[in-house]
Amino acid sequence: MNKSEQILPHGHLLRYALKERLTHWVAAGAYIYLLMTGLAFWSPWLFWVAVIFGGAPVSRMLHPWAGLIFFAAVWYMYVMWAPQMKHTDVDKAWWKAVRYYSTNQDDKMPPAGRYNAGQKFLFWGFFWSAVALLASGVVLWFPEYIPWNLRFLRYISILIHPAAALFTIGLFLIHVYMGVFAERGAFGSVIRGDVSIAFAKRYHPGWYKEIVGESSTPRK
Amino acid sequence: MTNGWVDMKNTDMMLIMGGNPAENHPCGFKWPVEAKRTRNAKIISVDPRFTRTSAVADLFCQIRAGTDIAFLGGVVRYAIENNRIAKDYLVNYTNAAFIVKGDFKLPADTDGVFSGFDAKSQSYDKSTWNYAGTAGGDAAHAASGSAPPAPKLPEKVEFDLTLQNPNCVFQLLRKHYSRYTPEMVERITGIPREQFLKAADLFTSIRKDGDMKKAGTIIYAVGWTQHTFGTQIIRTAAMLQLLLGNVGRAGGGVNALRGHSNIQGATDMAGIFDNLPGYLKVPTPADTSFDAWIKRITPTSSKPAPWDSFNYWGNTPKFAASYLKALFGDAATKQNGFAFDYLPKVDRNYSWVQLWDDMYNGVVKGMLAFGMNGVAIGPDSQKNIDALKKADWLVVGEIYPDETSEFWKSPGITQGEMKQIQTTVYRLPCAGFAEKDGSFTNSARWLLWKNTALPTPGDARLDQAIVAQIFLKVRELYKKDGGKFPDPILNLTWNYTVPTSPSLTEVLKEVNGKALADLEDPATKQQIKAGQQLPGFAWLKDDGTTSCGNWIYCGSFTEAGNQTARRDPSDPSNLGLHPGWGWSWPANRRVLYNRASCDADGKPWDPTRKQVWWNETTQKWVGNDVPDFKVDSKPKDHMGPFIMNPEGVGRIFAPLGAFADGPFPEHYEPIESPIDNPLHPAQTHNPVVKRFKTPDDKYATPKDGYTVVCTTYRLTELYHYWTKNNPMNVQLVPEPFVEISAQMADEMGIKGGEKVKVSSIRGEYIAKAMVTKRIKSMMIDGKKVYQIGIPIHQGYRGIKEDEGKDARTLVNLLTPTVFDPNAYTPEFKGFLVKLERA
Amino acid sequence: MSQAILRVQKISGHAGSVPGEGTQREYTVCKLIDTTTCIGCKACEVACMEWNDLPFGETVFDNTYQTMPETRWNYWNLILFNEHVREEDGSLMWLMRKNQCMHCAEPGCLAACPADGAIVQYTNGIVDFQQANCIGCGYCITGCPFDIPKMNPKTHRVFKCTLCTDRVSEGLEPACIKSCPTGCLHFGSKDDMLDLAGKRAKQLREHSNFPHAGVYDPPGVGGTGVIYVLHDATKPEIYGGLPSDPHVPWTVKLWKGPLKWLGNVAMVGGLIGLFVHYLRFGPKAREEEDINPSGGKP
Repeated sequence: MNKSEQILPHGHLLRYALKERLTHWVAAGAYIYLLMTGLAFWSPWLFWVAVIFGGAPVSRMLHPWAGLIFFAAVWYMYVMWAPQMKHTDVDKAWWKAVRYYSTNQDDKMPPAGRYNAGQKFLFWGFFWSAVALLASGVVLWFPEYIPWNLRFLRYISILIHPAAALFTIGLFLIHVYMGVFAERGAFGSVIRGDVSIAFAKRYHPGWYKEIVGESSTPRK
Repeated sequence: MTNGWVDMKNTDMMLIMGGNPAENHPCGFKWPVEAKRTRNAKIISVDPRFTRTSAVADLFCQIRAGTDIAFLGGVVRYAIENNRIAKDYLVNYTNAAFIVKGDFKLPADTDGVFSGFDAKSQSYDKSTWNYAGTAGGDAAHAASGSAPPAPKLPEKVEFDLTLQNPNCVFQLLRKHYSRYTPEMVERITGIPREQFLKAADLFTSIRKDGDMKKAGTIIYAVGWTQHTFGTQIIRTAAMLQLLLGNVGRAGGGVNALRGHSNIQGATDMAGIFDNLPGYLKVPTPADTSFDAWIKRITPTSSKPAPWDSFNYWGNTPKFAASYLKALFGDAATKQNGFAFDYLPKVDRNYSWVQLWDDMYNGVVKGMLAFGMNGVAIGPDSQKNIDALKKADWLVVGEIYPDETSEFWKSPGITQGEMKQIQTTVYRLPCAGFAEKDGSFTNSARWLLWKNTALPTPGDARLDQAIVAQIFLKVRELYKKDGGKFPDPILNLTWNYTVPTSPSLTEVLKEVNGKALADLEDPATKQQIKAGQQLPGFAWLKDDGTTSCGNWIYCGSFTEAGNQTARRDPSDPSNLGLHPGWGWSWPANRRVLYNRASCDADGKPWDPTRKQVWWNETTQKWVGNDVPDFKVDSKPKDHMGPFIMNPEGVGRIFAPLGAFADGPFPEHYEPIESPIDNPLHPAQTHNPVVKRFKTPDDKYATPKDGYTVVCTTYRLTELYHYWTKNNPMNVQLVPEPFVEISAQMADEMGIKGGEKVKVSSIRGEYIAKAMVTKRIKSMMIDGKKVYQIGIPIHQGYRGIKEDEGKDARTLVNLLTPTVFDPNAYTPEFKGFLVKLERA
Repeated sequence: MSQAILRVQKISGHAGSVPGEGTQREYTVCKLIDTTTCIGCKACEVACMEWNDLPFGETVFDNTYQTMPETRWNYWNLILFNEHVREEDGSLMWLMRKNQCMHCAEPGCLAACPADGAIVQYTNGIVDFQQANCIGCGYCITGCPFDIPKMNPKTHRVFKCTLCTDRVSEGLEPACIKSCPTGCLHFGSKDDMLDLAGKRAKQLREHSNFPHAGVYDPPGVGGTGVIYVLHDATKPEIYGGLPSDPHVPWTVKLWKGPLKWLGNVAMVGGLIGLFVHYLRFGPKAREEEDINPSGGKP
């Protein structure tokens, strides 16, 4: 990780490089658009949301394109992060102790690396959902071109698309909750890229060690 | 039609053959469907292909094109052998009991021709085709001098009501058709024996056990007429119907379906060269005077002595005199034979095919082509194109530029050739059907007035305005310059309010006719003042006191107004007569020969379908329909119901000159046929059919490599050569196609949608193949024969044609120039071709 | 398509009550197609195009009398031609079935449609597309078990037979019915049409060679506003793939039913759960210094 790319405040570590942050926000922006317009199509009670986004026909027109952008961003994340998202023994232990994590007893958690098991789950959850959403989305984009004898594709897609979307919504809610409310500093990290050493030590001790081990002059 | 469209709802059995009403008369086809729905009536469809009519039929037989007489003859035989005949009807209402002259010979005994055939002139001496009897023919013969007069029917005909005399019509009929066994039918038609027997059994089942209540109808169209023996096919159907007692009955009859909205009207108004309006026979050069003409064309009754005959054509002098009065007005007087000399005398055949042949041979120099696309409607389009190249001028009145008016740029003509063509072509834009008023006479003989729906577009003019202006110009020239014989032109009545564009209302009034002097009916004392419209043809006089343009239309426009415009839908009898809807010739009668719907005592055969009946109290024939009979003729007088025949009865045997090719129909092969005639291989074709002799007239045999039987037809989606200019119709059937059987396609490796070339010895037609199970290969006299079908509608001028997306060939490039010797209809329905990939 | 004055009993993608529901005496209109008397003349096809002023389209010869392979966004009424060999006796049948919207009582298109008011069902049973409200998603295409709604590729709006709503609302029969020359098409109340169809089927069973003749009014979609008399009601597939037991696709039902409720509960439940979690546990590190060692405790 190239730390020289930006000047960090004292006592801070670079957690997300610029391209990672950019990718995240491209994905986030696209996802929020997809979520809003998708919810409008999901339920008549939320149909009004589409109106805010320029009307339902426009939403229907842009939703697939936003989907492509979202998938491109997710795909790039996959390229960047897939090696770091491998399931490890630590993750197993982490999942066993997840109840401590959810009750803020982080000191009882096994030491997580750059990404804890929950984050990895989020990543893979989003990745595979994105694949499913893309595949079913293409069918739903052009239902008129699916021949009658391949209509099962439409039938599957119409179920897979909302199901996968619902799954991502669950992930998304937890992700936002964790990033914005639960872990102070996390939100900043995806804005400016840096986290405090305390944050690193507390939530990603494995990663911290790795960084420090690498660093010739630890900042202290 | 003897009956009518609506009447078909009364039927119990329909034989639909030589016609495809579901496709070509879909609106009328509601009545066959109605009969199916309300009476459980059955449809038997016999056709070269499984059509949309076959799709709703109860039984389908695939027949080889042009073998209908063999099929019908087989049914005649079946009906006789199985006693499925109407015995009382046969004896009393047909000539079955009449004795035929002893020297009459059937084709079975005379090498495939009837007695009297002269091979050299290809014509018959018909004197043996006559009844045995006294007076009439023989007497006339003796009285006349040097010139042998035409033989006549005997006044008193010998007869045998037991039908046992070996020379009675019935026995001759039985003998003649005894050769049409199911095996023979199969050999000729290709219909498997069992399938034929099923059809014969089903159709004749209405006369099972002598029951007379049920009625069956035979429905046909140009699939029968367009053969070199077309008239004889229809004859066979008529004979079968007489045998079964179906003529004159509600739900019965022999019913011709007319393909165009006013074809019946055209025929009624002298559509054919040898007719005058109302089916009066044209004068020939031998008719030197009105009286000579009248004598020749007015029949005298010919019947068994104890019987009576109305012989309605005995009124011919009245019809003829009134017709001439309508044509020439005051110039037609009793003294000058009603200006008989003004009438053209027809010296030879001027039928449609002959005219084109004449043009090809340089005899005809110019042509006015209105309401027809002469090049496309063929036969042998190339000959017609070549004929037009030799003409001096051509006038085409049309609503679209058509193949005829653009014959000079038909496919295959080079720029160089085009420059050689000297024909001057005038194109006159005409009004379309919705832009004209006037009456249509439909297949049911109903005259129905229609109003103008739209104004004519652009420079388009009404047909009658164009004709009138040409006539007035010609008259002006005759007036100015004189001429050899200007009188007929100068004396023609032209009393229209707007002479340059006669109102069709005025024309119909003129056709109906009016009194020229005060008239009184001696029986009823009813009076008609001079100048008043005549109420019916019973008022016509032979002394010049009435005028009438067409006697059968007399009654269509009376003092009560335009009867054809009536629109009262009520039908009190529920027999589909609708007497207040339009007007039907003759005399608003809806079913012809309806006296035959009753037994000899005047009681209806079927009390649930009472058309007319004898009322004992009033001593008159009365009914729901207008009785087609002398209203006060008592049943015991035994007047025959077929009042238009001098015999008074239906003709199972057609004597003397009624037909050119035989008193009984005999199966002959089409001019181009895959086999020799199994009945008499030495006489394969109709012996009196003549072939044309120009270089364009070629006729093939299987030996030339043409082995596939081809038939042509029309589709629901398109109307003739016309609607290919309408995007709606073009969308429904975008391209020309050729229907071929799946077996044939397999054998040749052709897939549906691939282009194929159909060639006859005369020309080529290229279109996409429609591979279907609806046509099957057939075994004809032991030979495997393929049959294909081609819809006629495309050509080289239309939406798709102009886009250059199809081959721009005309189907009639394939068809031969030969025609039926009776009606002069060309052969479009059965000829030989070969088929290959294009 | 039309804005006829008809009251609406079902609306697609709609929240809240439906204005027309229960406001009118109930009667359902129905079109009866007797395939046994259809002659494939295509008058109904032309009448449909004429009445609805549909634009002409290109067609190509396709080895059949059928005008085109399937209905189009601008061609709502198509007779399907099928050659069928009867197993009983090897005889040929040429089946013609007029294909168009079936106007299901429980329309799959309407169920699948997310756009408020894009598909409505009038109280007389007609299912009608309102293109002004259509968003072009094509879910109706997926929802329909008869392959009827078709997309205009230019405008991304879906079209189909309206059962001539504009005519019917004025007390006229649909244009196709008006044009049918043989009377194989009938129009009236559903009860009357079922009665008529039943009688015709009975007649075919008893007097023609069709022992399996019957009426097609599939219960899987609650019955249809277009019913058929078939020569062989046991084999509707031979009529150009008429489904023998059509249903709204189960995935659509699952999606619009259980999945929707499950999803809504999960989403709302998730939000509440997280909120409660925050109230109970709060953020992971309450104190700034916990994560910011450079600062000191006050």
